[in-house]
Amino acid sequence: MVTDPFATLGFAHQYEIDKSALDRRYRELQQALHPDRHASAPASARALTLNKAVAVNEAYRILRDDLKRGEALLQVLGGQVTEHTADPELLMEMMELREALTEARAEAAADEVARLAGVVAKHAEAARSELTTVFAQLQAVGEGEKKADALLAHAQQLLGRLRYYHRFHEEVARFEDEALGQV
Amino acid sequence: MALMQIHDPAAAPRPIGIDLGTTHSLVAYQPLIGGPTCLTDCDGDALVPSVVHYAEQGKTVVGKDAQRLAQDFPQDTIVSVKRFMGRGADDPETRRLGPYRFASETGPVVQFQVAGGRVVNPVEVSAEILRALRENAEAELGGVGGAVITVPAYFDDAQRQATKDAARLAGLSVLRLLNEPTAAALAYGLDSRENGVFAVYDLGGGTFDVTILVLDNGVFQVRSTGGDSQLGGDDMDRALAERLFQDLGLADGQARTPSQVRAVLTAARRIKHALTDVAEVEAEIEVPDAGTKVVRITRAELDALIKPLVERTALVCRRALRDAQLGVAELNGVILVGGATRVPLVRSYVAALFGREPLTSVDPDQVVAIGAAIHADILAGESERQDVLLLDVLPLSLGVEAMGGVAEKILPRNTPIPASAAQVFTTYADNQTGFELHVLQGERELANDCRSLARFTLKGIPPLPAGLARLEVRFDVDADGLLHVSAQETSTGIHQQIEVKPSYGLHDQDIERMLRDAYDHAEQDVAERALHEERVEAERICVATEKALRVDAALLEQGEGEAISAALQAVREAARGTVSHAIHSRIEELDRISKPFAGRRMDRSIAQALSGRAVTELERETVHARGIEPHLKTTEE
Repeated sequence: MVTDPFATLGFAHQYEIDKSALDRRYRELQQALHPDRHASAPASARALTLNKAVAVNEAYRILRDDLKRGEALLQVLGGQVTEHTADPELLMEMMELREALTEARAEAAADEVARLAGVVAKHAEAARSELTTVFAQLQAVGEGEKKADALLAHAQQLLGRLRYYHRFHEEVARFEDEALGQV
Repeated sequence: MALMQIHDPAAAPRPIGIDLGTTHSLVAYQPLIGGPTCLTDCDGDALVPSVVHYAEQGKTVVGKDAQRLAQDFPQDTIVSVKRFMGRGADDPETRRLGPYRFASETGPVVQFQVAGGRVVNPVEVSAEILRALRENAEAELGGVGGAVITVPAYFDDAQRQATKDAARLAGLSVLRLLNEPTAAALAYGLDSRENGVFAVYDLGGGTFDVTILVLDNGVFQVRSTGGDSQLGGDDMDRALAERLFQDLGLADGQARTPSQVRAVLTAARRIKHALTDVAEVEAEIEVPDAGTKVVRITRAELDALIKPLVERTALVCRRALRDAQLGVAELNGVILVGGATRVPLVRSYVAALFGREPLTSVDPDQVVAIGAAIHADILAGESERQDVLLLDVLPLSLGVEAMGGVAEKILPRNTPIPASAAQVFTTYADNQTGFELHVLQGERELANDCRSLARFTLKGIPPLPAGLARLEVRFDVDADGLLHVSAQETSTGIHQQIEVKPSYGLHDQDIERMLRDAYDHAEQDVAERALHEERVEAERICVATEKALRVDAALLEQGEGEAISAALQAVREAARGTVSHAIHSRIEELDRISKPFAGRRMDRSIAQALSGRAVTELERETVHARGIEPHLKTTEE
């Protein structure tokens, strides 16, 4: 079952999102749906609102995450989310960055890890702004048009990049956790 | 000032908030007039020591009296039981400095060997504390209508379940398990009416939590939480006690008696408290079988002993900020909660860490109970604070053990709750009819390093070639942060029978047995309690339904209002009777009849929430609103 998190929270099908507007909308919806609001309701009314509250939480989590939001939008606009990427340039770039990260982690060089994280954050930002443009173009062309296929492929490729950047940041976070010396 | 309380015997039961703390517990409630208040004993103390003494003849003593007995009966008097909640018999906590006798070294629960050959587990010990609190509250308020019980935000599923089980054993109906930092923020936020981003630093007797939350016009949205459920003031006492043992010439741990351990731990706590106000303490310690000794401790010495503990909290704080994607500069305030935050080193450390003086205007011992009382009042539906809402998160990632012993995350930490996720598994052998699932909680990559929650055995899968049977397993986390697992074979739609074997804690059968034992042969008591609970439930639902009928009369269809009113009257009538299952079936009938109305009310409120937007999006909104109709039909079936 594919749900549209944009529709659930009442947002237009655009990649760029105003996060404070998103937060506000989320809170307004939970004001109406959260189980605490229905603590005195009969069982089936509670179940009804609980399911909606869960759906709103899920949609919120997707839209607040730059990668998940992109993947959801791709699906809504007729694309397929795939883990595979055949972008040799990206693979090369990531291999070098990962090697540098592994080295920095081994030496516990926090400054170098932070610098690498900064480099990847810049790349991710570039990928996001390109995604905004591509998704806007996709919205402008009709479905099934030849151009749409090319745009979908482009969006897919950018999301692939973003996925690598996210994983890189997860690894940086793991390094920070290790440095914290606890789980 | 002495307040005289006059009880109306027919007064409605009051919902209460309970802070079930490691060292102390408190009960607070929201009176009909005025601000939330903590219940106090005859000495005017709100804090009830979380201590349970088991006497030889099977009698139990709770609170101050039990605390006084701890010295003479160190092994029969359980102190800080919260640290053992949801833990296995082999947990490291059982090997830390303490005087107890453990009945076994393996098994899913810790077992204390106490006087009279009795063996008790932490759920039963906590239930004794909760029962004492309940009885005290009933005497004071005339009746208790459900309780909000606070738990450390960082409590895992097993620890939360153990707390809920204890409440059940104590005869309390739990309205909600509420995270302690969130409760504290509620008490603070409503006090100050200030919007912004806040960090709650909660260092209690046995647990540490940090929560980053946004306060926006009555909505408290938790962005991230972190902690250590085995770190608190008790560990400071232990560190100091070890040092005192050196001074006393009792460095060898094997040579100490339980009485000596209890005496030195108590002395350590007193010295720690004293060093909050003075720079140096000279204390006389009476050590059983070793005479009286005088020790001299400076604050600087204490600071050096506890610094590693305080530093651990700093690391947790940094991670919580990172998870919330916020920097220290973006915070509007830091709230201190928990008795251990009185320690000067903790205060100065927190001030340096967050670059600002922390807020301490509400008593750090009482703030959690006050917040719980406010929330209990809101849940009971009669509060004036109708705009207040608490949005919390899952503290630790939930996952399953995948091939190769790797932990596969299904719901990451800091996911807003209630939440649910589904995962599809396939069979790996022909005609496989069973399936085992190992559910985990924690952040580590390997299953062995995560906390094992339970092993689920799914049975009754239709025999099919390998890989053809597809099992959809659903993980639902409710607003208490508790996990529920269900499974369905998707090609046949058959719901699977699930056998749950919790890794830690008690089976449902154990709880049932304990409930029976608790009431012994007093079946009357059980029946009375059931009737009481049905009546409270009936009244709550009637009040809520009447309000809905009043407020949303416009959404009623022809004849619907009359039908609902009739069903409502039937509930009221049954509630005046003495047959609890009759009340139950009337409630179900009201539920069935009012369901379409409830659905319309929900859809209308969703549409309202979605309506605050730009004109260009209005068209989309009408399309969306139309999409809600079919949804309603499907749920009505």
